[in-house]
Amino acid sequence: MLPFSVELRPGLPVFEQVVYAVKKAVISGVLLPGDRFPSVRLLSQELRINPNTAHKAVAALVAEKILEVYPGVGTVIGAIPAATSRQRGELLGEEIERLVVEAKKLRLEVGDVHGAIDEHWKRLS
Amino acid sequence: MEAVIETKHLARRFGKAEAVRDLTFRVEEGSIYALLGPNGAGKTTTIKMLLNLLTPTTGEALILGTASTRLGPAELSRIGYVSENQSLPEDFTIAELLAYCRPFYPTWDDAFAMRLLAQFGLPLDRKLKHLSRGMKMKAALLSSLAYRPRLLVLDEPFSGLDPLVRDEFIRGVLELSEQEKWTVLLSSHDIDEVERLADQVGILNGGELYLSESTESLQARFRAVEFSGAPGEGLPPGLPGSWLNPERAGNTVRFVESRFEGEAQTASQIHACFPGASAPTVAPLPLREIFLSLARTFRLKA
Repeated sequence: MLPFSVELRPGLPVFEQVVYAVKKAVISGVLLPGDRFPSVRLLSQELRINPNTAHKAVAALVAEKILEVYPGVGTVIGAIPAATSRQRGELLGEEIERLVVEAKKLRLEVGDVHGAIDEHWKRLS
Repeated sequence: MEAVIETKHLARRFGKAEAVRDLTFRVEEGSIYALLGPNGAGKTTTIKMLLNLLTPTTGEALILGTASTRLGPAELSRIGYVSENQSLPEDFTIAELLAYCRPFYPTWDDAFAMRLLAQFGLPLDRKLKHLSRGMKMKAALLSSLAYRPRLLVLDEPFSGLDPLVRDEFIRGVLELSEQEKWTVLLSSHDIDEVERLADQVGILNGGELYLSESTESLQARFRAVEFSGAPGEGLPPGLPGSWLNPERAGNTVRFVESRFEGEAQTASQIHACFPGASAPTVAPLPLREIFLSLARTFRLKA
């Protein structure tokens, strides 16, 4: 099992989706600095994705210092400073963009979207 | 990158029928290459030529550096092959199947075979004829993975497998990636699985290779486009050739852009053909939809 969840959607580059899922898990505190990060092979097997794609995602996360590689030990979550509210907001940005695209496709008005968000917010609080 | 498979103008006739025509493509070391195509496109014929199970009428193929027509036991012991129509020795138990295969392969890895056996939940003492289709396919895969082939060829491996077995099968294939050298060529109808697995895709149609490119580049250049505010009926002549399957329903027009270069360019092309059209919605396409739109285009041309 992977220590974070990835919901792969068809049509979008798998690489970007994996990188996004890891960043989200780190910023939201699901993955903590020092936590072990799965190997490329496990990542590939668990997600049934191409090993080269898994490798590329790990390399990109290492380059961004979200992951750190210790030879002989493995890959761990890096000691990143606590996410600012702006970073959290940026992460939410992608979700909001998707929502807006879907809403526009359905020809909804912005008021309809606000209403729907309020309703869901109440249900979950 | 080293080519594990390289073909030049490969062709095969059956009587008057050309099953495969002028096929030139390469598969690089360390990649998962998926051959896709409608039924009868030539996928199985291609695979059989690559493995010397069929002789090409013309053209040539190099497999791990050896001409396909000269593949012998030494080369074949480094190639794994699992096909949906594979015939297995039905009277053998799985233990007997493994014992039978083992001596043919110098690189046979017992520990790996045992690990896969446990992972696949296969019973050693059952005869193959008493196993389900899924179990048989897993047994076939096990006997092809156990010698850690440098090239694994899978012909329609997922067809008729339930989702759980398919999942186990894919995990098994991905075990190979722990090796230093591995390459997978597979043909499949199961495009959703392929989208995550393959980094290269070849689409065959009517015996010809329509495209051979990376999954990434396919995802980058195809988009579903829709806009409204196009009064009138039918479609005007002279639409861009890169628009696949344009259709109209009322005031809404929909098509698949096969050479997407940005929303601004799409919008201006639309404007040139449909003055007064609304801003288009542009969405990425799953590989399945890309394949379907190409297959529909093939049918129109045929």
